[in-house]
Amino acid sequence: MSLNFDPSYALEFDFGRGQIRMANAGERVIVPCDALLALCQGASEDAVRDFGRRLGTEAGRVMNDRLGEAWQASLETVLEHLGGELALMGLGSLGLERWGQALVLSFSHSPLGWAGDLLLGSVLEGAMQRSFGRDTVAIKLMRNEQNVRFLLAGRAGADKAGRWLAEGVPWGDVLSRLATRGAS
Amino acid sequence: MSQEIQKLQELLARVQRNATLPRTLVSAIAPEPSAPMHEAPVVAYSAPAYTAPVADFTAEQVFFDSEPPPPVPGRAPAHVPQFAPEPVTQARAPALDASVDDLLLEDPFPSVPPAPSYNDVLEEDPIPLVSVASPRPLDREDDVSGVMSISEFSEEQPEELLEDDIVEMTAESELPLASNHTLDELNFGDDDDSSDKRTTPPREDDAPASSSRSKIAGTMDEALARAAEQIQLEEGREVPLKTPPPESGPQAATALPAGIHAPLSPDIEELLEADILPSGGVRSALPTAEQLGQTIDLEDARGPSLELDQPAAFRPDPLQDDVPSEELEVTLPGREFAGGYQEDLMPPPEARQELDAHRQRLADDSVPAPPESLAYPSQRPEHLEAPTSGFAPVIVPSSVTTDSYSESVSTVTVDVPSKVEFAPELLARPDIHPSPVAKFIRIEPPRPNTFMELLDSSLALGSD
Repeated sequence: MSLNFDPSYALEFDFGRGQIRMANAGERVIVPCDALLALCQGASEDAVRDFGRRLGTEAGRVMNDRLGEAWQASLETVLEHLGGELALMGLGSLGLERWGQALVLSFSHSPLGWAGDLLLGSVLEGAMQRSFGRDTVAIKLMRNEQNVRFLLAGRAGADKAGRWLAEGVPWGDVLSRLATRGAS
Repeated sequence: MSQEIQKLQELLARVQRNATLPRTLVSAIAPEPSAPMHEAPVVAYSAPAYTAPVADFTAEQVFFDSEPPPPVPGRAPAHVPQFAPEPVTQARAPALDASVDDLLLEDPFPSVPPAPSYNDVLEEDPIPLVSVASPRPLDREDDVSGVMSISEFSEEQPEELLEDDIVEMTAESELPLASNHTLDELNFGDDDDSSDKRTTPPREDDAPASSSRSKIAGTMDEALARAAEQIQLEEGREVPLKTPPPESGPQAATALPAGIHAPLSPDIEELLEADILPSGGVRSALPTAEQLGQTIDLEDARGPSLELDQPAAFRPDPLQDDVPSEELEVTLPGREFAGGYQEDLMPPPEARQELDAHRQRLADDSVPAPPESLAYPSQRPEHLEAPTSGFAPVIVPSSVTTDSYSESVSTVTVDVPSKVEFAPELLARPDIHPSPVAKFIRIEPPRPNTFMELLDSSLALGSD
């Protein structure tokens, strides 16, 4: 198992055939970003979620192929390989934050912007499902120009956090409440 | 100038009037007026052959002799008209006009004396007439008519006289001024009595009227003698009321009437003082009221009077004997040779307070040693440390005096005795070496080893 992500020869451009292939993966299509966003904005929420989960599943699978036994992988290793695969897709730079017992993943410098947050959250849910076999819900905690944070929680915790965020509770207090309620 | 023009016009009028007279008569009676006047130029016209009617006279005798030839008895000139004998005095008047006529036809002021024409020489036969009309030779001295005077003016140019040639104009030369015929005083009237004109014939040796400067005396005695004569002459001379012409020589000032006198000459010393002093004179040297109003009286200088001490004469130290003679080194004079000042000088009262404050600042800057009771053992002086216990007794001062330079600043002087009987015991805290005084226990939260553990814990959040 390689600990470091090596993107060498990750993409193969076959000009004779007019194809782009990713190593250990199938063909890829390079599409304009605004065209993808237009498609996502025109599609339903479930369709976008499904589209995103499919992208995450593919990234999880590749990571599993690289890591072998992903369930034994550390935080850094998962972050490096999963983040590498998502960077090859051009979705941005992946980050990992641990707030107590809560796991927070973030994207920075995503070209999709605030319109692609639903897509990005779905990508994370698909990758967790494919890599670790867990159903997770990605709850967007905050968004600014460069970063977007997602809390990976269960269904119950996701509902509470969603409600508190809807009530206007700061995302830090939401994490505190989740941790307090969870500890108690 | 205008007077001369007027005279000349009158003269011209007379010439024109005389022109109507018979010419022959004039020529015949003319007593050869040009003989004394044209003596030299006649020589030039004596060359033409001329056969004199009188064989006895030669050309030299006719033209060159100053004196007319004596009349030949028994022979009278054939061409001489016979007319009634007239007095000589009456016959001279036409001759006077004739000479004036001849002169005025020519240049009245010729630069070169005019020569007689050839026709005059031939036609006229003045010699016998002269002998008849004027039995004695006529000289210039005898001719007192104004015509002669004019001829003299016209022919004899006034020569420029040098200083040596200028003759002193004395009273004797001024007395015949009335008879000295000048152009202004000429009288050309026909009815004038010619006898009056002949009374004082002019003399050739008279000093010119324009000579106004005396001859320079050769010796001092001569000059003094002349001065004495001049004074005597001026005293006895009657001062004319009219201002004489400038060529009349020095004149005495006219006596002013009583009560009127000439302004006195200013005093030189008074003028010099007036230049130095202001325009108001001596009194103006004092300041005016306006000036005093803006004058500020300065205060007198305070403090002791300064006296400059004359520095001692510089005397270099003698050279040391051990110094080699090759080294030309001389010790420079020290500060003691510079000028000093009097030591008992006191500062002015304004500077005394400032000086006290300055001394106080100097005292504050010099931080004294900390009190002995608060000093660390390492900083204590050697003589104050206790040899055994490590605690030093504090020595109480025996006397405290206060010396004040001013009311606001004071300094305290403490005299420490060498030995006292009762002293308080001071306790000092023992030294404390650095050591840890607190311990912080860091409690690290449990960190999941794998990503799967963190993910499971995160999925457990919010689940009751």
